[in-house]
Amino acid sequence: MKSARKKAIAGKVLVYVILIIIAALMIIPFIWMLSASIKSDREVFQMNPFVLIPENPKWSNYHDIWTKIPMLKFVENTVFLTIVVTFLQLLTSSFAAYSFAKLEFKHKNTLFFAYIATIAMPWQVYMVPQFIMMRKFGLNDKLLAIICLQAFSAFGVFMMKQFYEDIPDELCEAARIDGMSEYRIYASIMLPLSKPALSTLTIFTFVNTWNDYLGPLIYLKSEAKKTIQLGLKMFISQYSSDYGLIMAGSVLSLIPVLAVFLCLQKYFVEGVASTGLKG
Amino acid sequence: MAKGLSRQKKRDLVAYSFIAPNFIGFAVFTLVPIVFAFALAFFNWDGSNPITFAGLSNFKQLTGDVFFKAALKNTIIYCVGTVPLTMIASLALAIVLNQKVVGRGIFRTLSFFPYVASLVAVTSVWKMLFHPSKGPINNILYTVFHVPMEQLPQWFTGGLVLVSMILFSVWKYMGYYMVIYLAGLQGISAELYEAASLDGANTWQKFQYITWPQLRSTTFFVVVMLTINCFKVYDIAIMLAGGGSGELTISSTVLVYYIYQKAFIDWKLGYSSAVAMVLFLMVFVVTMIQFRGQKKYQ
Amino acid sequence: MKKKLLSVLLATSMVMSMAGCGNSNSQPAASNDNAAETQTQAAETEAAPQTEAASEAQTADAAGGDAVTLKWAIWDKESTPYWQALVDAYKEVAPNVTIEMVDLGSTDYMTVLATELSGEGSDFDVVTIKDVPGYATLVQKNAILPLDDYISADGIDLSKYAGTTDQVTVDGSLYELPFRNDFWVLFYNKDLFDAKGVAYPTNDMTFDEYDALARELTDTTFGSQVYGAHYHTWRSAVQLFAVLDGKHTILDGDYEFMKPYYEMVLNQEKDGVCRKYTDLKAEGLHYSAAFSNGDVAMMNMGSWYVATLIASLQSGEYDADLCGNWGMVKYPHAEGVEPGSTLGTITGLSVTSATDTPDEAWNFVKWVSGEEGAAVMAATGNFPAIMTDEAMDLITGLDGFPTDDASKEAMNVSNLYLEVPYAENVSEINSALDSYHGSIMSGEMTIDEGIAAMNEAVQAIKN
Repeated sequence: MKSARKKAIAGKVLVYVILIIIAALMIIPFIWMLSASIKSDREVFQMNPFVLIPENPKWSNYHDIWTKIPMLKFVENTVFLTIVVTFLQLLTSSFAAYSFAKLEFKHKNTLFFAYIATIAMPWQVYMVPQFIMMRKFGLNDKLLAIICLQAFSAFGVFMMKQFYEDIPDELCEAARIDGMSEYRIYASIMLPLSKPALSTLTIFTFVNTWNDYLGPLIYLKSEAKKTIQLGLKMFISQYSSDYGLIMAGSVLSLIPVLAVFLCLQKYFVEGVASTGLKG
Repeated sequence: MAKGLSRQKKRDLVAYSFIAPNFIGFAVFTLVPIVFAFALAFFNWDGSNPITFAGLSNFKQLTGDVFFKAALKNTIIYCVGTVPLTMIASLALAIVLNQKVVGRGIFRTLSFFPYVASLVAVTSVWKMLFHPSKGPINNILYTVFHVPMEQLPQWFTGGLVLVSMILFSVWKYMGYYMVIYLAGLQGISAELYEAASLDGANTWQKFQYITWPQLRSTTFFVVVMLTINCFKVYDIAIMLAGGGSGELTISSTVLVYYIYQKAFIDWKLGYSSAVAMVLFLMVFVVTMIQFRGQKKYQ
Repeated sequence: MKKKLLSVLLATSMVMSMAGCGNSNSQPAASNDNAAETQTQAAETEAAPQTEAASEAQTADAAGGDAVTLKWAIWDKESTPYWQALVDAYKEVAPNVTIEMVDLGSTDYMTVLATELSGEGSDFDVVTIKDVPGYATLVQKNAILPLDDYISADGIDLSKYAGTTDQVTVDGSLYELPFRNDFWVLFYNKDLFDAKGVAYPTNDMTFDEYDALARELTDTTFGSQVYGAHYHTWRSAVQLFAVLDGKHTILDGDYEFMKPYYEMVLNQEKDGVCRKYTDLKAEGLHYSAAFSNGDVAMMNMGSWYVATLIASLQSGEYDADLCGNWGMVKYPHAEGVEPGSTLGTITGLSVTSATDTPDEAWNFVKWVSGEEGAAVMAATGNFPAIMTDEAMDLITGLDGFPTDDASKEAMNVSNLYLEVPYAENVSEINSALDSYHGSIMSGEMTIDEGIAAMNEAVQAIKN
């Protein structure tokens, strides 16, 4: 009995040791990033001795980043894009996914295959034809171009469909017998049930749009339309020596993403639970 | 609306109306260019001049292309390394974080940090940590393990660059797949474990006979997503191994980088599409095999 | 029904935008108002002849000296002062022309530009050409116009461009006019030489002398390291030492002649004379950070760095105690070759095929690349493509330019070889050479293996 308890305690200790090591691995780069963001170039690479907080923290990095490039404008654009894309993505994906999961119709499989096949295609392959086409639509150098690119992704539909398939068909059938239209079933039964999945998709879309680089690079050319990731890259090319500044920018760009994640993480785990199970 | 429509027609219409908002956007902005790009593999085009038919010549040219072969090899090695490692790491982490441990929420959040962070930011940090002569990793190897200066690992070149890329991906994406596994674990009934405990099963046996089989469909999902994402690796290679003129050397080039290079540096869009076809077929075949495998075991 | 509606909509919007354009362009000239009016009236009938009429009206406007806006592709507007200076100066000359600069960033400049100019319908009029491979791409895509007719019509004397235009002539046609011509020199930090009591480098050094000098200055003591030399990670910084003897070019397809230079640099690296390539790559160290750190004695770099050095020292961004006392000499030369041969990098302007106002665009290109543009460039400390004595005096007379005679003498170039001259497959050759340069420098391949791989790759591309 005693040895069993000892074993259990030893097991617990082991678990915590592993957890702390992993947590450390995950967090070290961010501590480093924070620390580097208040250092001068010379201090960043100083190892012996390594100091976490330099004697004279270079807080000016956090100030310079707003003045050296039009960061405020970039933030504004990125926030706008991210919110619109996320909203559209949630709306259209859940709408389409309902149909794929709960309705029977002609060409269902063909249509769905079209969605799935595109996930496996790297964007670089069709970027040029896409660009030429988008320009024909007059979308070059417009924020709208990024919205069109990002808002209708196959991934969102795929994910939402997985989730809806887990919701018992009986629920819909019962509603249909009650004379509810499909639109009402979607709005009053499916949507409320899919909060976790919607949260999941929110995070994924938010992170993707927020961190996108290649899309804005090709489409957004005027200074007034650029995004944070383009701004960070501009730093690296123009002030490539200035690690502190780059890190300060990176820290700033992380904050909103983390905030959204923290707000939604409760739903998030549940959300994936429902989509992940059936695969 | 139209009275003459049959019930099935009506149902179809309703279904299409659900799909339409997304599908129209998707078809116009994604599907059409993709189909066009697919067809391009059999043509020569530079994005401006008239398109000319090339037949299979792009594919024939691939067979003698040193960089393509290197990219193919590196991509496969990267996938073979990353997929199982990420899977094992994320599963292990999920199992640990599924226990009743204090601060579970914090640990879960921390594991998700790398995934949400922007790649530009985390690769910069990573490159500092693994800096061949000044980074703390090599510093520890030098001072603690007394690895001679000349033998310190060069993490971003030669044979090690793929190792770095694999390690980096595992680190960056394990939190993401951990969450999926966590979800899978939560779906396993606690009764199964209780019954097993009564039968005197040890921890390993419980994993072997309950957890693993119950997680089969989650694992399938994880592996398929991982495979697709690994074959599409691009940014990680550029940001970890690129430098100087930004060119990747033969030991670090990957398929999507080569696609990018052929398309946007050399403007051989047809050839680039041919490379993409190879990539697509590989993903397709691997996914199909996984799909078959999964069905067999179910 | 739908189709018809769509085409009507399209036609209307097209004509409306044209008409709007005409209106904003026109000074209150009667003929112009009429044109605009007829356009709107005709909108209901047919679209095709209408657009022609509209564009005719527009070119007429341009020729008549009415307001024209030219869209110009550039990079790094914030950190590069001459773009704005050129625009301001041109405003004086041609007040009716508004130049709208679009910053595409320097990192992926040519990629973004080539994408932008793909297909039809780009609204850029003038584009800056950053490098020859990118130039080749645009020429082959027919995205930029040949300038020969303009050049002969305006009687431009190409000999003023020091032979660089010959190296970018494609089948007898020239598609760009350079406005900036940088050449590579050897920058050095005088303080480090003084501290060691070693004589400064001279304008007449062989590579052996250079190598010996670099080694003499090197100090590998931990904490007070001095690097005798510094090579940036670009291929040009090492590989192109080899083409300065005038016997070889980078397009040869047989690169055995590069071996001695790779050996020199890699041996220096091994002995701690210069920073390791792999380190530089990992930290992405910029050459300016390396030199301004005050621990690099000599660095080969393009003359564009002169303006940066002067400006950064004046603004206090660089510590004058570390790198304030700098000088320049000519590139080292191979045994038996006269000194003064060096690498050149031209930056040019081209007129896009998509422009509606090619004449106006050409006028701008001509002006920037001409002597007036040269004066503006020189005043900002940059080396114009047309190097006149006045421009040279302007640069060497700048506050902050080294005062010693050797530095001034270093500005006299005898032979200029472009980093990459034009060739049909120059972009692919460039990629292959870049990649194997990385392999050699990082030790993934031995020099012999790397050179063999280069030979094979380039010969495969050429065939």
